[in-house]
Amino acid sequence: MFDFSVLVLVVPLALGMVCGFLLRGRKIANLSRVTFGVILVLIFSLGFTVGSNDDLLASLPSVGVSAFVMALLAIGFSVFFVVLFRRRLRF
Amino acid sequence: MIKYILLVLAIGVGAGYFASNFVVGFPLSWVTYYLFDGSLLVLLFVMGLAFGVDREAVAKLRSTGLRVLIVPFLVALGSILGGLVSGLIFGLDLFGSMAVTAGFGWYTLAGPLLTQVLGSQWGALGFAANFLRELLTIVSVSLMVKVDKYAPVAAGGATTMDTTLPVIVRYCGKDVLIVAFSSGFALSMAAPFVVMAIASLK
Repeated sequence: MFDFSVLVLVVPLALGMVCGFLLRGRKIANLSRVTFGVILVLIFSLGFTVGSNDDLLASLPSVGVSAFVMALLAIGFSVFFVVLFRRRLRF
Repeated sequence: MIKYILLVLAIGVGAGYFASNFVVGFPLSWVTYYLFDGSLLVLLFVMGLAFGVDREAVAKLRSTGLRVLIVPFLVALGSILGGLVSGLIFGLDLFGSMAVTAGFGWYTLAGPLLTQVLGSQWGALGFAANFLRELLTIVSVSLMVKVDKYAPVAAGGATTMDTTLPVIVRYCGKDVLIVAFSSGFALSMAAPFVVMAIASLK
């Protein structure tokens, strides 16, 4: 039940930080461009995952409206609480 | 940037549909599994690198402190409340709809988990609602950052540790990286338990 695979994601992040720390002061490639390129690959494979799953594509219109409202309200209340606390507590 | 993201997303959906329906024997898992996970790992490495190279990043991080714990708690609260209200709007089972939004945007978890616990109808809803949360977050980061620097982090939920992290960092600044990652991490850890717990009450 407990998914340990998410812990794996910490490894490349920490590794990158260590490498970045060691490379400090040296000129390295334009990182934001590299990041953008990799994002596009990631988004492509995300779209591919949805597009290649027929069950998923078929179910999208029928549950679409309620799913959209759910996503919107979950985002709305989350943002509301965080922004409210930030303004009140000035953290 | 969002123009390109939506374009590439549409191309991805089209390519996925084409490959699974018209190309016999196309190894779909190469893209949906290896390319997806591979690019995610590369992305996290590059972002860690950018953070490590930045001399001011650690100083910015030091002023963060409490936010690391408060943000994911508030996001969890807001997400579940969002599920409750949308359940009331559509006349759905309230525990079911709260379990859906308790996926915090992690659709690959919420979809299969809800299918298993509550059936395929809830599973489809869980997948779609959480997928749309991620998509809406990516699309609206540039707008939300004008409301508050942490608003996109709140919107992204569990996805702020991976898929939405680069977009958030790009618009909100590198000092948001740690709050975004740790909030996404805490919510990813909590999501399986919270979804199961709420779904079991139905």
